Amino acid sequence: MDRLRRLRGTHNEGILVAVILVVIVAMAVASPAFLTPSNFFALVRSSMVPLIFALGVLLIMISGGIDVSFPAIAIFAAYTTIAWSSEASFDPTIVGVFAIALVIGALLGLVNGAVIARFRLPTLIVTLGTQGIIKGILIAYIGSTYISAGKLPASVRDAADAHLVDIPGGGHLHAVIIPVVLVTALVWWMLRYTTFGRSIFAIGGDIEAARRVGIKVVRTQILLYVLVGALAAFGGMIYVILGKNANPQTLVGTELDIIAAVVLGGASIFGGRGSVLGTVLGVVLVQLINNNLVLVGIPSTWQRAAVGVLLIVGVGIQALAAARSKRRAPIVEEGSVA
Amino acid sequence: MSGNGSAPITRANRQIDARGSSLIERVHVSRGTGRMVVLLVLTFTLFAILRPGIFLNPLNLQTIGVAAPEIGILALAMMLAMLTGGIDLSLPAVASGAAIVMSTLYASIAASSGEAAAHAMGPVIMLVGLLTGLACGAINGFLISVVGITPILTTLGTMQLFNGLAIVATDGVTISGAPAAMTSMARATVAGIPVLFLLLIVVAILVAVLINATALGRKIQLQGANPTASRYSGISSRSTLMSVYLVSGLLGGVAGIIFLGRHGTANADYGASYVLLVIVIAVLGGTNPNGGFATVTGVVLATLTLQVVSSGFTALRLSAYEYAIAQGAILIVVMVLDQIRFRRRRAAAPPASETVAIATQRKKDGTRP
Repeated sequence: MDRLRRLRGTHNEGILVAVILVVIVAMAVASPAFLTPSNFFALVRSSMVPLIFALGVLLIMISGGIDVSFPAIAIFAAYTTIAWSSEASFDPTIVGVFAIALVIGALLGLVNGAVIARFRLPTLIVTLGTQGIIKGILIAYIGSTYISAGKLPASVRDAADAHLVDIPGGGHLHAVIIPVVLVTALVWWMLRYTTFGRSIFAIGGDIEAARRVGIKVVRTQILLYVLVGALAAFGGMIYVILGKNANPQTLVGTELDIIAAVVLGGASIFGGRGSVLGTVLGVVLVQLINNNLVLVGIPSTWQRAAVGVLLIVGVGIQALAAARSKRRAPIVEEGSVA
Repeated sequence: MSGNGSAPITRANRQIDARGSSLIERVHVSRGTGRMVVLLVLTFTLFAILRPGIFLNPLNLQTIGVAAPEIGILALAMMLAMLTGGIDLSLPAVASGAAIVMSTLYASIAASSGEAAAHAMGPVIMLVGLLTGLACGAINGFLISVVGITPILTTLGTMQLFNGLAIVATDGVTISGAPAAMTSMARATVAGIPVLFLLLIVVAILVAVLINATALGRKIQLQGANPTASRYSGISSRSTLMSVYLVSGLLGGVAGIIFLGRHGTANADYGASYVLLVIVIAVLGGTNPNGGFATVTGVVLATLTLQVVSSGFTALRLSAYEYAIAQGAILIVVMVLDQIRFRRRRAAAPPASETVAIATQRKKDGTRP
């Protein structure tokens, strides 16, 4: 029983692994094209950008909020950087491009953080507002044209062609996997071992308790949104590199898929709970389904509905389990005076 | 603290307490409605001065009256969900889903038994649209009240689901076809006032009656203001929440009818940009997103204000993206101002502990205010 519980993991990671395995076996049986290196590389490739966004969503969700502005921040930061660089015909090298994008993302995150932390407003509604503002400014004032591969800065084009593993005729593993893995590890380390990471958990668990143990809530929250803004910009740059073009009309609208993946990964929308491992598994599960429905003979038009059902079933099971454990608990906590 | 204080101080305290609470009540009533009247008049005057030729044209005013209802009805539905402390992100998806079901039904009747028959079936088709909305609402209500998933996650999931099914049903393209009854209703006017606008007013009155004059309305308000108190008063939150999401789904169906009537086409994507707008309107209209407080008048006025801004922007040749910026900015500024005013009011009111002390003293004195 104890070993079973450990296998299940603190955020039901074990269950997710089991579900993923079942999906993989089912798909492998249904289609011989599934278990090929190229299909595996395609899965990794399509998971990278959602994973980076999901890490940002995870951090916000652990702190007890919901962010829907990250795709707008991502494409704003990446497109603005690329557009400026190609217009000025100045290539700041790949490091420079990332640095500029991250600064833009961090500044936009600062706006979110300042409004949310200073005025304690509902995060979903604030970020819905900033999403509209950021995307509006991008398209109305910065640029609405598609920047094709030929017009990208040379350093970005080179990065887009860099492959880590190349199997002739069998697909390739893109080199940006390295920074993506590094960033994922960094977020994991930060959440687990730094005071800042633990403060995020504390704020999400109980904001008043966090304040009373001496955590500077406003400062931590602002820093968190700045960090998540930079993370979104990083994801936006990876998106531009992988797609080898910059299109200001993309990304916005994908936020709910990402939130679904994070919730499936065991993070609690009420804050205080969530893990990087669970998030990675959640993203992989959603991408697995998105990528391979066609392989098992289901038309791709079913993707959105499938993710919706997955999300409802996932959170439904969590809700039922929570209700059952509450009924079993001898002391009902919520009756107490706040 | 002041438990053993002399009588005059107690009386003075009591007076301040009473005046403070009456002040709070007065601010509470005007919040939303009063502010929206001012905002509506201001925006209207602004655009009327900037572009009198285009903006004050009767045709433009009629367009505002025709465009406002579908958004206004969705905002009223959102307000109901927010009143219980929840949210309904699936509303635009419900509306476009209902429109797609109706359009598909019309097309299949027209194909099997001719267009005349399909037009004659108009009322039945509309009923099916309403039932579609109701069914979507029932799914939301079941997941929220019985399974116990948070409204935001439930409606996030069902929004994906409804939208996904709409894509499956339409293959992602725009479908067309609507019974004449619906398209002519969308174009009709009574004494120059669009019928759709009158429909919005009727729906608003019905929602206002539901909230303010029925037992269910009281339960809804208490559920949002204080779920624990509501439970200890013996109110079943399950049936309250179920009814709220049923009504909001039904209103989504009504919005779907209006949408199909206005455009004659239906599209799975149509909902996406409305989520932000509908939340903006509900919050701007004085709805507390945490539940417990909302006014129908405020929401209707907010709908009109946003429509005025939208058509004013068009008259000024500003783009849809500039309108999106305005929506976001209005939302955040209004919420920040509300919060500042709330804090100031709280700072001005006597601290809670003192109020409790006064209440205890009152009980000891045996007096009733």
